Amino acid sequence: MRCKVLISVVCASTLLACVAPASAQVELGGTYAIRMYEDYIERGPGSFLGDFTGMPLSEEGRAKALRYSSSLPSTIERQCLAQSPWVGLYRPLALRIWSEHDESGRVVAWVMGGDYLRDTVRIWMDGRPHPSANAWHPSSGFTTGHWEGDTLVARTTHVKTAWIRRGVGIPGSDQSTFNVFITRRENLLTITTIQEDPIYLTEPHVVSRVWEFDPRGSQGPMRDTCNVGVEIPPLEDTGEVPHNLPGQNPEADYMVRTYNIPREAAMGYAHTLYPEYRKTLRSTYKPPASCGRYCCGWIERQGLPGAAPGLTCNDGNLPAALRKTLTSPEP
Amino acid sequence: MRSAFAARLPLIIALALVPVRATDVGAQGRGARGAAASPRADAPIDLTGQWVAIISEDWRWRMITPPKGDIVSIPLSLRGQQAAEAWDPAKDEAAGEQCKAYGAPGLMRGPIRMRISWQDDNTLKLETDYGTQTRILRFSAAAASPQRSWQGDTSAEWLVRGGGRGSQRYGSLKTVTTNLRAGYLRKNGVPYGERAVFTENWDVHSLPNGDRYLVNTNVVEDPVYLQAPFQTAIHYKLERDTSKWDPTPCDARF
Repeated sequence: MRCKVLISVVCASTLLACVAPASAQVELGGTYAIRMYEDYIERGPGSFLGDFTGMPLSEEGRAKALRYSSSLPSTIERQCLAQSPWVGLYRPLALRIWSEHDESGRVVAWVMGGDYLRDTVRIWMDGRPHPSANAWHPSSGFTTGHWEGDTLVARTTHVKTAWIRRGVGIPGSDQSTFNVFITRRENLLTITTIQEDPIYLTEPHVVSRVWEFDPRGSQGPMRDTCNVGVEIPPLEDTGEVPHNLPGQNPEADYMVRTYNIPREAAMGYAHTLYPEYRKTLRSTYKPPASCGRYCCGWIERQGLPGAAPGLTCNDGNLPAALRKTLTSPEP
Repeated sequence: MRSAFAARLPLIIALALVPVRATDVGAQGRGARGAAASPRADAPIDLTGQWVAIISEDWRWRMITPPKGDIVSIPLSLRGQQAAEAWDPAKDEAAGEQCKAYGAPGLMRGPIRMRISWQDDNTLKLETDYGTQTRILRFSAAAASPQRSWQGDTSAEWLVRGGGRGSQRYGSLKTVTTNLRAGYLRKNGVPYGERAVFTENWDVHSLPNGDRYLVNTNVVEDPVYLQAPFQTAIHYKLERDTSKWDPTPCDARF
């Protein structure tokens, strides 16, 4: 009888041990290299002022974004303002992920650091509930997650009011919530965020990005902290906080002037995000005569051909040896 | 009696492990529902329905035709750059190649609505209103088409996770497209060549309110016109109201 019990225990234990991995997680730990093949200008040199294309902004969001001046984040008081915990999807550097464990070795949290500037994003995996709506909002918000197959499904609440896209003043309120989907498949990591904001957005704002696993961690440095420095004359010298008064942003029509884009598209009206809007442009849109700025990526910005791996452009006076390295093999 | 149990121990453990083994197999391919199940019956996710692209990224390059030479963000080789700078839509029209920007790698990044349905138990059909294109995603082995085409030949497989012993079943679709006719990644003539391979992973994400999003993580590899794999993720939302479906022909200019 004791033998039967023993056998049963052995079988059950073996079965449980083997079943567990079927619902388990994907190893996310490591460094992921940025691949700026989408929204390059926002993530590289920075958005053009007045470029809110692709955004479903509310009137309040649009008005606040138009008050933005590029000098605003240079003020001492604002250099370390919180940014959205998922602003990394609009940033130009690598991503680093690591896990935190309890005494038994179980993953308590996945932590995402790197190009978030202000903090790390900690995704609690231990089943803890989100805090009360009245609880403190830390700069990284509060995020919990669970696995659904190969995807870590996370939800972020308790964020601070913050800019959600780089260098253009698009705001997110502290009532924003994010549904986040993180999928690693072989070497590619896809992060999709769906942000809802009852103040500054009229519908969910969806962003999806790809990173590539980088076993050498060759892209860096990781920047999780903010250092303050004097970038513009301080308030006590000028008596002025950089701003644009309502209706007086000189760059509000930049995209219209430069790229012939309808103002409603440049100003981030939600209906401009869908295919039917394109059809309304057929008889009116005329492409600009030339590309203008940032047609080619890093090379133009840095003046160094091939300065960024994977991107090239007009080679100008590219030395023959370098041209050879950039030229693909004959088919 | 004790020795009889001891003798049966390996067999008992092996039997206990059989369902687990099936789950692991499923994790790599067809899932835990048995070899006889068709891909349609075995689908771990439901891709069918009408999906609309949300152009919240790269608006200026996806919603409208950018000017010639605007190749920003695409890792073109020098040959690719030269080809992009030689773009001539009038020439494409004269050659009857208005659909060069509507081949699979360019199509999926376009301002599209797509309808996905099962053509049969082994084949998914994807139709777009933009350019009135049809992609066929085959789960069963098929001989390569004799001619290259804008949509090429696409093989499909489910990647299944879980599903054993009553646990939740998850998964995604992986497709690989080859035999493509040379086309454009971007409407302004940014090229890909005939040797391009287009690999896609399709994931469906659901929100608590019932909204469903399809995320297509894809890689274009082209030994001629790209100097590195072109990796992007494109997202779509499921539409319950299908009234905005509006087929339009290919257009080489707009």
